[in-house]
Amino acid sequence: MGANASQLEKEIGSEQFPTNEHYFGLVNFGNTCYCNSVLQALYFCRPFREKVLQYKHQVKSLKKETLLTCLADLFYSVATQKKKVGTLAPKKFITRLRKENELFDNYMQQDAHEFLNYLLNTVADLLTAEKKGNQKTPETNHSVKPDPTWVHEIFQGTLTNETRCLTCETVSSKDEDFLDLSVDVEQNTSITHCLRGFSNTETLCSEHKYYCEVCCSKQEAQKRMRVKKLPQILALHLKRFKYMEHLNRYIKVSYRVVFPLELRLFNTSDDAFNPERLYDLVAVVVHCGSGPNRGHYISIVKSHGFWLLFDDDIVDKIDASQIEEFYGVPSDTQKNSSESGYILFYQSRE
Amino acid sequence: MAAQSEGGGKDDIKTHFVIREGSYKLMPQSEYSKPSRVGFNGQANTPVKVSFVDVNDGTSSPDRLCFNVGRELYVYVYKGIRKAADLTKPIDKRIYKGTLPTCHDFNQHFLTPESVLLLVGFTAGQVQLIDPIKKEISKLYNEERLIDKTKVTCIKWIPCSPNQFLVSHSSGQMYLYNEELPCGQTPPNYQPFKQGEGYAVYTCKTKSTRNPMYRWVIGQGAINEFAFSPCAKYLAVVSQDGHLRVFQYSTMELLGTMKSFFGGLLCVNWSPDGKYLVTGGEDDLVSVWSFHEKRVICRGHGHKSWVNMVAFDPYNSIVCDEGTSDVIGPDGEVLPARAPSLVSEGSNHIGKIDSTSCDFTPNSLPPQHPNGRHITTSNHFSSSTLETSTTLNCISYRFGSVGQDTELCLWDLTEDVLKQPYGKSRTSSVGLTGLNTSSASLPRSNSLPSSQKTNNVATVVGNDVSANAYADGHAHPIQNAVMNASSKFATLSVSDRKDTTEKKEHKRNFSLAARNSEKSSVVKSNNIRPVDSAMKLYGTQACPRLDQVPILEPLVCKKVSHERLTSISFRNECIVTACQEGIVLTWARPGKTVKDGAE
Repeated sequence: MGANASQLEKEIGSEQFPTNEHYFGLVNFGNTCYCNSVLQALYFCRPFREKVLQYKHQVKSLKKETLLTCLADLFYSVATQKKKVGTLAPKKFITRLRKENELFDNYMQQDAHEFLNYLLNTVADLLTAEKKGNQKTPETNHSVKPDPTWVHEIFQGTLTNETRCLTCETVSSKDEDFLDLSVDVEQNTSITHCLRGFSNTETLCSEHKYYCEVCCSKQEAQKRMRVKKLPQILALHLKRFKYMEHLNRYIKVSYRVVFPLELRLFNTSDDAFNPERLYDLVAVVVHCGSGPNRGHYISIVKSHGFWLLFDDDIVDKIDASQIEEFYGVPSDTQKNSSESGYILFYQSRE
Repeated sequence: MAAQSEGGGKDDIKTHFVIREGSYKLMPQSEYSKPSRVGFNGQANTPVKVSFVDVNDGTSSPDRLCFNVGRELYVYVYKGIRKAADLTKPIDKRIYKGTLPTCHDFNQHFLTPESVLLLVGFTAGQVQLIDPIKKEISKLYNEERLIDKTKVTCIKWIPCSPNQFLVSHSSGQMYLYNEELPCGQTPPNYQPFKQGEGYAVYTCKTKSTRNPMYRWVIGQGAINEFAFSPCAKYLAVVSQDGHLRVFQYSTMELLGTMKSFFGGLLCVNWSPDGKYLVTGGEDDLVSVWSFHEKRVICRGHGHKSWVNMVAFDPYNSIVCDEGTSDVIGPDGEVLPARAPSLVSEGSNHIGKIDSTSCDFTPNSLPPQHPNGRHITTSNHFSSSTLETSTTLNCISYRFGSVGQDTELCLWDLTEDVLKQPYGKSRTSSVGLTGLNTSSASLPRSNSLPSSQKTNNVATVVGNDVSANAYADGHAHPIQNAVMNASSKFATLSVSDRKDTTEKKEHKRNFSLAARNSEKSSVVKSNNIRPVDSAMKLYGTQACPRLDQVPILEPLVCKKVSHERLTSISFRNECIVTACQEGIVLTWARPGKTVKDGAE
């Protein structure tokens, strides 16, 4: 480990080593790689890291311990290390996580996407609650949308769900917010194609007919979902775990899905607020192995122009050309076990 | 394991497809691969590329084929649509250790039936020159990897040069070598030679001349492919930074830039007349860029993943000039636009155009000899071919693309798209009809009258000026006149196609339709100077927004392999595709299967 760390430092070179940057592996506390991989990815989502560190400075140690204070302490600890590379034990964070949610209170492998979801929502809820606490507003009014927190400012986008009644041609649309998009995967496609698929038109007919307000009756309709507001950081979850009814369990879909380092969205709505955002890939959570409850998670992140691979406590510098090893398996006849991209983090170029 | 392999069966792989000119059929007997196909691991492979050469040996099979698969390299006699050569008897077979072949190129001009020059690039950066027939030569360049340690991404002989070649690497650098020069025992010291926006050229700082003669540093990230224009004067380079850059090779001047919609550009090809370039990339799109107008003409969406290779079909581009007008027919009837007969007859001229259009200035020693003389060695270009080819004016272009989605797409680039002004797309373009548009296609015949008259004028003029037009690289009104003259053919073919695409579009419903409402914005500037920022180029002619240029739909889009496709080439009687697995397929063109089996 120590050898590995110094080797990494050597590989990057002291002149090239970015100032104020620290590459620290995280110790695995028994199947906590789902957590480590997501934490590393989030740490290298710069806007998120900055906000977490800001939070740390704001609240000091007066607060009672929450998942957010534990996260802030962990990020702060990485950011203030004397050494540039090394290993940290995220013990406090894991303990807190296990205390707060029974889902994670065991030593089983968990779904990294579920964890990401839980973490972001929990942090957002804590921030909202704190804001309310500060403003001393008496009661919580559920009908009013709470002010967006910085979690929302970073990760939240808006989908618009357009439905067109095939009888009267009236289009009605409904917006919904998201923190990440879950997309179906197909063999030998690109994430771009999967996103197009996400926004494909669906026809609602027979028993799924749509109640049209204009026609005042159930009608055939066409429906599609497109992105109306593009988030600052676009988190894309590839649905690689598929429930197989006849097997009565989830299996992993190792399809080869390529993801470019640069991305624009094709599936934006006409009234999209910022459809031309150009995204750069900044982090990928990779699932290795054959199923959701076994296997391993690692992450690859971009930092100051080069790529790093975090495998729990091990950190390696990798070449950008090695990213293709994480696209998945191109042939159905090959093994399902793979090291394949599971959550992609794209950051908008400003 | 097999549980999720839906649609993985053999049955969904197409063995023929039909388009306007007829039916293309896979020739199962004409398949090339390594003799034994055991131990395939597609993931570890470098992309399989295919190179051809015509050795002109007077037999019925003058073509030679080279492909790389894994650590092996094969050279066979290529028999086209006829039964493949005995795979256990390659002309040459090489197995490499520690480094894999990535790309190769035959010298098309300096060869005899008994001797050809083949360049091979490798994953660790080395370059080898071999003669796969005579087997006498075997020279290594960059053997000690002192020049570049990264993967060779593309290698090409300088057109018409017996000894110079260009090698690009994933380091983003490109080197000019002379086959006869040594590579030196020390890493080269460079001194700046020429610089421009987004690129720089260096020479070697030594007393004795050595390799590399020049080093080009282009863009950021890997250079993925480069291609010389048919006239050999211009060099197009596509990079991982998403830029297409076109240089005047002799002066090393940057003439134009295009930026992908997003992501790296992986491949590039010139139209047979050198007017257009098509690229493919990580945005799943093919993009057509006009060299003369320096703008993106259109983009094509059909692939479901990255586009690995694009190529124009010189045999299926409809032309109008003096040389071929008699083929088209004296009164220019409907026939030309779709008649297969035109395709085959016209091909005699156009077929050779790959290396002979424009006015043929080889520039084998760029800065020293900017106007190098024509090297008179090519024995298989008759002078008449040269003459006709300089007057070549395509008005409809066919190109093909293959991708990581295992699909083959064919595209038609027609006059209505070529002439559509920038920023005014989405009105008449293909693939835009909304949900409730009726699929009736409008006859678009308004450009028909008077074409007969202009035809004569235009072709005459075209004869005189087209060489100049290439030389200064600008659009000319005269050339437009030629275009007008020929518009009736294109028009016919367009309305033809319109029918089918609109029907198809109707099924797909929403598509991108409602973008119509968005007012397409005014073109900001004519600024085609290369700005290295993707953000700055966005919305300009170098990288239009989606609604600023037409979106083409493929004529045909077929899954033809289990594996990612890596190569496509158009030949007189067939289309040749190759996949990651190392299987080279031959697709007979319409009406070309009759000779099947004949030897």
